[in-house]
Parts: sequence; structure tokens; C-alpha cells
Amino acid sequence: MASLGNSAVSSPTAQSLYRRRRRGNGILLSLSFAATIFGLAWLFLILAALLWQGFSGLSPAIFTEMTPPPGEGGGLLNAIVGSLIMTVAGVVIGTPIGILAGTYMAEYGRHNQLSNVVRFINDILLAAPSIVIGLFVYEVVVAPMGHFSAFAGSIALAILVIPVVVRTTEDMLNLVPNTLREASAALGLPRSVMIRKVAYRAAMSGIVTGVLLAIARVSGETAPLLFTALNNQFWSTDPNAPMSSLPVTIFQFALSPYPEWQKLAWTGALLITVAVLALNIVARTFLSPRTSK
Amino acid sequence: MSEHIVTRYDDELKDVQRRIAEMGGMAERLVDLSVRALTRLDTTMANSVIADDRRLDQVQRECEELAIMIIARRQPMALDLREVIGAMRISNDLERIGDLAKNIAKRVLALDGQFQSKRFITGVEHMAELSLAQLKDVLDAYAARDVNQAFEVWRRDADIDSMYTSLFRELLTYMMEDPRNITLCTHLLFCAKNIERIGDHATNIAETVHYVVTGEALTQDRPKQDESSVTSVSYETR
Amino acid sequence: MMQTAVAPNALPEKISIKNLKFFYGENLALKSINLPLYEKKVTAFIGPSGCGKSTLLRVLNRMYDLYPKQHAEGEVLFDGGNILAPGQDLNLLRARIGMVFQKPTPFPMSIYDNIAFGIRLYENLSRSEMDERVEAALTRGALWNEVKDKLNSSGLSLSGGQQQRLCIARSIAVRPEVVLFDEPCSALDPISTSKIEELIDELTADYTIAIVTHNMQQAARVSDYTAFMYLGELIEFDETSKIFTAPGDKRTQDYITGRFG
Repeated sequence: MASLGNSAVSSPTAQSLYRRRRRGNGILLSLSFAATIFGLAWLFLILAALLWQGFSGLSPAIFTEMTPPPGEGGGLLNAIVGSLIMTVAGVVIGTPIGILAGTYMAEYGRHNQLSNVVRFINDILLAAPSIVIGLFVYEVVVAPMGHFSAFAGSIALAILVIPVVVRTTEDMLNLVPNTLREASAALGLPRSVMIRKVAYRAAMSGIVTGVLLAIARVSGETAPLLFTALNNQFWSTDPNAPMSSLPVTIFQFALSPYPEWQKLAWTGALLITVAVLALNIVARTFLSPRTSK
Repeated sequence: MSEHIVTRYDDELKDVQRRIAEMGGMAERLVDLSVRALTRLDTTMANSVIADDRRLDQVQRECEELAIMIIARRQPMALDLREVIGAMRISNDLERIGDLAKNIAKRVLALDGQFQSKRFITGVEHMAELSLAQLKDVLDAYAARDVNQAFEVWRRDADIDSMYTSLFRELLTYMMEDPRNITLCTHLLFCAKNIERIGDHATNIAETVHYVVTGEALTQDRPKQDESSVTSVSYETR
Repeated sequence: MMQTAVAPNALPEKISIKNLKFFYGENLALKSINLPLYEKKVTAFIGPSGCGKSTLLRVLNRMYDLYPKQHAEGEVLFDGGNILAPGQDLNLLRARIGMVFQKPTPFPMSIYDNIAFGIRLYENLSRSEMDERVEAALTRGALWNEVKDKLNSSGLSLSGGQQQRLCIARSIAVRPEVVLFDEPCSALDPISTSKIEELIDELTADYTIAIVTHNMQQAARVSDYTAFMYLGELIEFDETSKIFTAPGDKRTQDYITGRFG
């Protein structure tokens, strides 16, 4: 401090102010650190419980046998396959719609009112409780058809996928620098070519990440499937019939009084968690190489 | 003219101009002293001219370095560019004027002890007065950035030239009259030539002032009255 | 206002701007500009930020059409036709009047495709013809020797200066007649800048060039004609050598000598 000489920093007032600021800084730092630990602790407890309870039930039978009747051993094969089928179907239906809507908002309708309205509604949809979606699809699809079906389940999941994809597509296209659009236009490229060949390419990793995150989100949804695909004790790939899925099976088995079922529920929960975790990691790695450039 | 955003730039330009003014004063004094030394055959005065010319050379070098530095660091444009280029040219002319004065002073030393008649010198002296007035006027014109005054100087150079032509005849005639005059008259002829060239440099400066102010070169042909290069005095006809 | 219509030996005008007014919404950004762009000459636009020089450039290829609430009035004659006229095919116009931007904008694709992309839009070339065109464009863009061994790597992997030269090569690959440069060197180091300037110099053999620059020395170096703009007005237009040694307007003089308040 001596080298600062008679500058304002070395005056006694400055010194005491400095000490006070340091104290304030220390208090805030400890508070936020404590809050972080508190939040993370629960997460670790959940993961620990899952691993503890679920790992012991993990066996080849889980992937080869059907869900058992109460009191017997079995697997989760029909639930895993059901989840896969409905998730894939939901994503296949929802992604193109989401990407196209997002493209409209970011590229064509950037300056008009319709985009603002759509964006607002989309944000509501994004935050809507999934059980509302389930009820809606029940009313619109299940009730007229007269029975639960995997098809209805897929639609419910698609409706959940759409807002996520719309949002990420729009955001990612907005991140594409305008100069790139101008550069394309300056070459005489029609807008449609620019979007397909330049904007999508530049936003590709972001959009893919959005889709992966959407998959991660819907793969754990229970409520919408409960009202649409219901559940199925048996092997079924018929889209027109009720279909089993992991979340619903977990829901049903976990609430049952049978220890075998409860065990399977824990294992199923572990599987979903691992799958979601894996998707998130893949999404993250997808995003990182481009953003670091 | 308003000032530059960068104050140092203004300071540097002023510095160059101050040196030109300093050189102008020195050159005037050297010309004046050398001619006085000639008319009085005063070797002390002549020696001081020779010594002072070194100082003029030194200021000229400084001025040039400063101008080069400004070009390198500020990349002057338009008016400023002309100002700097003008300063370089004018400092060159002034340095040459100093050299010419020194040359006259050296001739005074060479003439040491020679008898001289006043009548030989009056012509040279008169011409020197005119050249000195030209130099003074053109330096004023530069200081005031006065194109009209510069143009006047430029136009008047013809007078010095014609005076030189007649002086040339006169001195030639003296030499023919009496071969003993030849040494003195030859030296005087060279002095007269030097003075005529001082006038030429003053005219150069006038052209530079015109360029600095207007951005255009004085393109008309300068009135040229120095016909000594085609002048001869026939011995027979006399 | 002094708009010297200098055409000492009546050079052919590739583009003639006549009474051009430009509006951002209600805001008048360009006030009745009259200006020629001489064929196969470099015209530089200088002036303080916000003087309208970039705006003017963006009128010339109607880039402003990408944005709502911007419109132009007056005439911009390009080979005799008014490019501001309704019904103008903008994509065709922009293929004839190329543009290079302030920041290098390589497309997220390979170096080869960056060049071939624009060509494919207008021409159906065989693989070998395309290879030739790409090589020719990259050579013209003074980039061929640096990238000929890595044509398949991403355009984004190049350095800033190389990216900018790639963009120039991309523009000239579609064989435009006019190339507009919007501060092409402001994001580049001095060496890259020199290379771009050298390139612009070479391009004048075949193209009419307009360049907006904040760097006055650059304007002095690369251009044949210079236009000084201030507050949406064209203050002075003349030969570059005249503008930078003896400008006619006091505002021009103040700006280029660094006296602007």
C-alpha cells in the first residue's frame, strides 16, 4: 500500500470502507454457498436413494420379461418399449411442427404481431402443467375414440414437445447473426434457400439440443399418459390400444402394496433418470463445440 | 481554422511554423550582413556570416525532422499536408539562401585587401536591397498566409532578373575597360548571381505559400528577365 | 452544398444516384443524394458515424428491403434501369451487385461450398467446371494458395483476414458487375488490411467498386473518387487526390484533417 503514496485509496476512510465491503462480501458469499449446498444435497439424496433402491433390482430380466402380476417376479420390457414407441412418435410428430413454427417466428414473422401472439401462447404452453395436456387429449382424442390408445399418448407427448422445440428453434435462429442473412441476401439467395442452407446449418447444434431436451422432458412424463395411453400389463405395439410406459408403470407399482412391484418401480425410476441424464449430457456436448468457436 | 481534436498535433504544427519564422529571420539577417560586409569589405562581419550559417543549417535539419515526424505519426491530410510539405520546401529555400549569403561572405574574405571603388558596388548593393525586400515580403506573406502578397513577390522577381542582366553588362564593361578590375568584378558578378538566386528562392517560397493556401500550384510561367545567359557585350562595338 | 459533377472526360457511369432520399420510418436519413459511380473505378464514402454512408451503400443492392419501415425515394440508375422501381427482381439484382460486409461472414460450410453455393444458384455446372470456377474465384480473392489443400475444411476455420477474402471470393464467384464493400477491414489487422486493399486494387480491372470506410487513409489509398457525407447529405464528391490534398468544402477539410468537434 505504501507505493500508492497519498492517493485516495490509502486514506483512513477508504481503508475502513474497504474493510466494511470485504465483510459484506464475505457474508453474501457464505450465504450463497450454503444455499447451493442445501439445494445440491437434496439432489444427491435423491440420486443416492435411486441408486440404492434401484440398482439392486437391476437384472437381465428387467429387459427381457414383461411386467408381472402381483406377487411374482418379472421385468419392465413392455413398459420400456412402450415408452420408446410413444416418445419417438411424439417427437416425430412434434419436432417438425415445432421447427417450422419457430422458423416462421424467427425468419418470416420476426416483425409482425402474429409472432408475438404465438410466442406468448407458446410460453404459456411451455409452462402448462402436463396433466392439463393429458386431460385435453383425453377430451379430444380418447373420448371420441372411446378407448385409451398409444396414439393418444403420442399426441399428448407431441403437444409437450412442440413448445420446447418452437422456443429453442426461434432462440437459436435468432442467435444466427443477421450479417449471415444479409450476406446470403447479398449473394442473391432467395430467403427459403438461405433458411435451409445457411440459417439451419448455423443453428443446427442448438436445434438438435432443443429436440434432445424435449425428449428428455417428455420421457419422464406420467400425467398425460395416464389419461391417454393408460397402461397395459402385456406386450403391445398396437397404437390403437392402451400401451404400457415406464412412468405410468412406476406410478402404479410404487403405490402398490406388493414389494416386488415396488422394487420394479425403483429400478424403472433409475432407468428413466439415467436415460434423462444421458440425453442431457449428449445435448450438452452437442452444443459445446460450436459455442466455443 | 479551428483546432485539431488532438492537441499535440496542433502543437507540432505550430512548432514547425515557429522554426520557419526563426529561419526566415536568420536568413534575412545573413543576407543583410553579407551584403554589408561586401560593401564595407568587413572581414569580421563576413566571418560572423559564415559562422551563423551553421546555425541556420541546423535549424533547417530540425525543421525537416519535425516535418517528417509529423508525416509519419499524424498522416496529415489536405490543409495540414500542404502545411507540412510547404514547411519542408520553405525551410529548404531558406537554407539555400543562407548558403548563398555565406558564399558572398567567403568572397569578401577572398577580396581581402583589394582596393575597391564604390561605383563598382552600388549596382550589387541596390540589387541586394531589392532581393532583401522580396525575402521580407514573402516571409510576411507566409506568416499571414496572404496569397496576394505572395503573388506580388512572385511577379516582382522579374525586376531583380532584369537588374541582374544590366549589372552583368555593366561589370563586363568594367572588365574590358581595365583588366585589373577583372578579379574584383568577377567576384562581384558571382555575388550578383547569388543575390539574383536569393530572389529566385524568395519566388519559390511565394509559390509554396500559394500552394499551401490554395492547394493549387502557380502554373503560369514565371516572368523571366534574366537574359545574362544569352547576353554578350561586343568588344568591337565599344 | 457543393456537389461538383466532375466528369472531366465523361467517364461512363455504372450507377447514377439521382435525388435519392432514404427513410428509416419517419426519419430522413439521406437528403437528396446525387452521385455517380464510375465504371471500373473505386468510389469511397467517408464521413463521421451516422452520416448515412452505409445506408447509401445498402440502398444500392436494396439490402434495406430485408427490414420493414425502411424506404427509398428518387432514382438509382444501374445500367440505365431504376433499381428502386417496384417489381425489381431483388435476387437477380443482388447477384449483379455483390456486397462484402464489415465482419467476415463465411457460411457454416466448407471453403469449397462457400464459393460454389452462390454459383449453383444461377448456373448448372459439371463437377470439373465448378472446380475451375471455385479455383478461379479463390485465386481472384488472393486466397487459393493458402486454402488449396484444405478446401473441405470449414470456412469458419480460417483466420479473420482469410475469412474476409473468402467472402470477397464468394461475391465475385457469381460474377457481379459492382461490388460494395461496407467497412471491409474494420475487424482486420494491418497486414490483412493491406491484402484486402491490394485485392480491391486488382478488382478494379473488372468491377465497379464502392467502399465505405472509417479509415480515411484507406479511402485515400484505395479509391479513385471520394464522397464525403455528413448528416445525411453529400457534402463533396471529387477525385480522391483532390479531396485529400485540397478539398473544396470546409466541412470536408475539417473532417479529414481531424478537426471535427
